[in-house]
Amino acid sequence: MSDPRKNGQTVEPTVFELSHPGRSGYRLPALDVPPADLAEVLGASNLRSTPPELPELSEPEVVRHFTRLAEMNFHVDRAMYPLGSCTMKYNPRINEEMAGLPGFTGVHPETTAAECQGAISLIYNLGRMLAEISGMDHVSIQPPAGASGELAGMLMVRAYQADQGNPRSKVIVPDTAHGTNPASLTLAGYEAVEIPSGPDGRIDVQVLAAAVDEETAAFMITNPNTLGVFESRIADIAEIVHGVGGLLYLDGANLNASLGVVRPGDAGFDVMHFNLHKTFATPHGGGGPGSGPVGVKSLLADYLPCPVARRDERKALGFEYDFDYDRPKSIGKVHAVYGNFLVAVKAYAYILTLGPQGLRRVAENAVLNANYLQKKLEPFFELPFPGLCQHEFVLSASRQKEQGVRALDVAKRLLDYGLHSPTVYFPLVVKEALMIEPTETESRASLDRFVDVMKAIAEESASSPELVTGAPTGTPVSRLDESLAAKELDVAWGKT
Amino acid sequence: MPYVPNTDRDREEMLREIGVGSVEELFAAVPKGLRESVELDVPGPLSEAELVRHMKRLASMNRTTDDVVSFLGGGVYDHTVPAVVRYVMGMPQFYTAYTPYQAEASQGTLQSIYEFQSLICRLTGLGVANASMYDGASAAAEACLMALAITRRNKILVAGTAGPSLRAVVATYLEASDIEIVELPETCGVTDVSAVDAHLEGAAVLLVQHPNFFGLLEPVDELSVKCADAGVLLVASVDPLSLAVLKPPSDYGAAIAVGEGQSLGSPVGYGGPLLGFMAADKKYLRRMPGRIIGATTDTMGRRGFVMTLQTREQHIRRAKATSNICTNEGLVALGAAVHLSLLGKNGFRELALQVTSKAHYAALALSAVAGVDLRFEGPFFREFVIDLSVPARRVKEELGRVGIWPGISCGCYYDGMENSLLVSVTERHTREDIDSLASGLEAVISPGGSS
Ligand SMILES: Cc1ncc(COP(=O)(O)O)c(C=O)c1O
Repeated sequence: MSDPRKNGQTVEPTVFELSHPGRSGYRLPALDVPPADLAEVLGASNLRSTPPELPELSEPEVVRHFTRLAEMNFHVDRAMYPLGSCTMKYNPRINEEMAGLPGFTGVHPETTAAECQGAISLIYNLGRMLAEISGMDHVSIQPPAGASGELAGMLMVRAYQADQGNPRSKVIVPDTAHGTNPASLTLAGYEAVEIPSGPDGRIDVQVLAAAVDEETAAFMITNPNTLGVFESRIADIAEIVHGVGGLLYLDGANLNASLGVVRPGDAGFDVMHFNLHKTFATPHGGGGPGSGPVGVKSLLADYLPCPVARRDERKALGFEYDFDYDRPKSIGKVHAVYGNFLVAVKAYAYILTLGPQGLRRVAENAVLNANYLQKKLEPFFELPFPGLCQHEFVLSASRQKEQGVRALDVAKRLLDYGLHSPTVYFPLVVKEALMIEPTETESRASLDRFVDVMKAIAEESASSPELVTGAPTGTPVSRLDESLAAKELDVAWGKT
Repeated sequence: MPYVPNTDRDREEMLREIGVGSVEELFAAVPKGLRESVELDVPGPLSEAELVRHMKRLASMNRTTDDVVSFLGGGVYDHTVPAVVRYVMGMPQFYTAYTPYQAEASQGTLQSIYEFQSLICRLTGLGVANASMYDGASAAAEACLMALAITRRNKILVAGTAGPSLRAVVATYLEASDIEIVELPETCGVTDVSAVDAHLEGAAVLLVQHPNFFGLLEPVDELSVKCADAGVLLVASVDPLSLAVLKPPSDYGAAIAVGEGQSLGSPVGYGGPLLGFMAADKKYLRRMPGRIIGATTDTMGRRGFVMTLQTREQHIRRAKATSNICTNEGLVALGAAVHLSLLGKNGFRELALQVTSKAHYAALALSAVAGVDLRFEGPFFREFVIDLSVPARRVKEELGRVGIWPGISCGCYYDGMENSLLVSVTERHTREDIDSLASGLEAVISPGGSS
């Protein structure tokens, strides 16, 4: 039986199908030393018998192929991308340009401190700014993504608790937690204890009080949480957790709602991570690279990932900034080098461009836009947790489900209207969840357009649901068969 | 505020629609005491012109590999990045997109990552690859976790010749478990095969870096045999460029191959972003961490791509996921796919040949200098260790003054190697660069030299 994935209709051939023997898209300089005899210098038994089957294309063919692929992508420069929890805000062009300065891209990580003061000062000062914004005492930019920051943070919790005499065994998470939270704390050696949220979508303080004990190493929460509501009883929460000797961990993925408004460090959090690729406008890159700095209060400073950027204003060594490797209590390294430096450059430029008032305006407008949307969409979709929200809110397509339309269908239909869908089926506590985060970089006109489209889809769900369940039709490909992909696994082209 | 479209008037109208009197009211859920005190002390706001001036000043305080003749490597390599790679990575359709959650609107990302996976499979000879990891070090750590889960054993063997940062990250990932980590001793710069037997029993994995931190080829065939006999999974951390000429990990029975892909189209960038990759024997696909892209068809029978086997991942499996990774290094993986496609079968091999040739030319030229010896005899690929008759630190300092960075001081990472330098060569080095290093060393080291 022929596999349609290999020889059926294609929208864009793979780079392997485009290959033509003898072509090459790049010219190397002429070799100006004697060519090595590979068998002699590497040993014949170490060599491969045939070169790897890489494709053979000329430069224009490569450019066309990837340009055509690019054209099949939805992206935030095109239209609203209201993925809840993902903070798909505009990525300022100037930051890309700054991260592309040869004075940053061309620095080798083994350069001596004296010769790369600009780079280390940027790392140090970004850490200071993030500390100021969050109310933490110290920040390390080493973790390359949010989940890596979670791991680093949880390992610090563990090291701290061990130093108090017992690493403890459990970390509590609310049922609204992002999946990386339980996964990271498990990797840090803890058992995840999930507690149900209260009827208002917030942590039920009584449930929490009953769940904590001397084995509770930490309570890990997101605030505002993934339903978009602020944990108003944060002081009680902190007291309960600290009362049993536990630490309070903040998943800072939703920090956008707090910039210049409230600082987690003031609210009792001991350790947190940031997502520079959300809050601080660095692009997501279709799945990364991100950057997940981890911030701590002083009680955890000794455990920070190694090395730690530091400043000596008196320049005792002849320069101001360097890395401190002498950190005997450090959890060690979570990244091979210093973290995603070029991403950090973009976040640094972003903070300088905004300044303190600008940061606050980000939070204000993110929250304003979300509340505006929530208000306007409420007539058409169920709102399981009514009331003001912060930077995002969660609708349910439960009414539409009765009409035979699921959240997934709504998501796909949005694509036909040229908009991206919200996050669907998360958080898990809402059935048929549509999690919507407009961000501050959307205009009112673009919010109104989204409302019009959502309204149209709600109407279609009632009148002609097949339009919605049959979506998308306006995308480069129509609905894709995920079960075929999982059943007949094809994750690499051709024979290897 | 250039990035916020709402005007004051918009705000007022929107507040009215919401039914609140002020923006402050929107934050009513935030306890007042927490809200009222905030007065951030951060610099800015800067105009674009001011920002550029400041950033250029910072950038100018760094010496780059263009400003000097640099032989720094050790895992991050200064190759030429073709303009096309930068161009494609700079397409907003790619870089301003999120993870491809809505497949039908993300075919560009999905197909290019499928192509990346396919290219990694072709380099490593293994059947399956994932969509990327943070870096080669975390990929190695994840491979160990994967092998531990597969074998249900609780010990790992790590070659002491694997890069120090790789070993450090592996140790961090295993810190909270009661897994025993055995560091295998070296002899002549490579893993001492005869010392392996003593540790094999009960081990889940043997992690070897090939070529290793010193640039040397490891005795992978012998290690492979030992692993196979003891039911230990062999994990090879490989330099992707070396795979243009070296036999693929599949040939020596590696169950998992990981590596650092920075050399595939990324600048040195002060060490990040990097690019971790992971490939494995097909039978371990369901044990792999991270995202995996698979081919499928749409309702009209056309080929398309989706994220597949997501039930392994954190957003579904939560505490029981194969890994906590979510965001990976997608854009860097795209860059690697473009890079490999552009160089292609012949260009990539030619690049590896040039790097090998220049590295060996350099080794000969440097070891001809009195007071400089090649420390190890074994075959090496792109870098090698030299022993100097004087401390490496001093040599680095003195050569730095004439714009030559001769390599990494091994003493920073290995005891007793204070006089050793790891010298790394790429296609960017000209014969003249290498000759200047040789004469520079001669001037610094020889008794009549500047010391
Ligand atoms: C609430 C929350 N926590 C954690 C993460 C994980 O962050 P990352 O994808 O950078 O690892 C995300 C993002 O996906 C998130 O939305």
